[in-house]
Amino acid sequence: MSCGLVCTNLGIKPGQRFGVKGEITPGAKSFVVNIGKDPANIVLHFNARFDIHGDVKTIVCNSKNNGEWGTEQRETTFPFQEGSTVEIFFVHDKNELTVQLPGHQFKFPNRLGLQAIDYLSEEGDFKLKSLQME
Amino acid sequence: MSEKFEIVNLDVKPGEVLKVKGKISDDTDRFEFNIGKSSSDLALHFNPRFDESVIVCNSRCSNHWQEEYREHHIPFSKGSEVKILIHFLGDKFQVKLPGGHELEFPNRHDYEKISYLSVKGGFRVTSFKQD
Repeated sequence: MSCGLVCTNLGIKPGQRFGVKGEITPGAKSFVVNIGKDPANIVLHFNARFDIHGDVKTIVCNSKNNGEWGTEQRETTFPFQEGSTVEIFFVHDKNELTVQLPGHQFKFPNRLGLQAIDYLSEEGDFKLKSLQME
Repeated sequence: MSEKFEIVNLDVKPGEVLKVKGKISDDTDRFEFNIGKSSSDLALHFNPRFDESVIVCNSRCSNHWQEEYREHHIPFSKGSEVKILIHFLGDKFQVKLPGGHELEFPNRHDYEKISYLSVKGGFRVTSFKQD
């Protein structure tokens, strides 16, 4: 995976929706958006797998607490296409995160009980074009 | 000054634009945008100082500041929402400010790409774009 963008000190508060928009590269295999406090404390690891690690068109979500991965959660809705532009929105409170995808949304528990989201990173076949903090 | 908003591993090439939108705090004296390779190697430090009514621009090489350029007009005010566009034109940077104002700053280190951005001080980023 390529070395992707890393944003720090975002200061996103509970209830504040934010979005990342980017281009999924043609021939994409996988991309990741991590949000949390820092690289070792990730409240949501969002991994869209087109075709990698035995997963085809699956979103795999997880969390990382003090460097330790948690339990994976899989979503079978996969509204992504390689070679297209997509915008993904996130909103969180102390209990859960809501991930808004084109035409679909799902929830993931806020296992870290994180208040502010300060860290965002992306990896893989995704080129971030914009970041919106509403 | 508040903690800095920072993005690393950007890939902004000549011909591309960085757009930053945000709100200037009501009570701030200063804020700054830094772009370049890292916090110690900057192609452009853009620093509006309301307390001195000046925008100071500079570059930084291995943690050393270089020669300042001062623009004695700030075309925005505290408490306002602004959009600042930084066009990377290869040999220079063109900063587009509200009201049609612009300023230019040379690409002193001949960088071929911009991989670092930070925003410090009284400016809350609400949107960031690279085109």
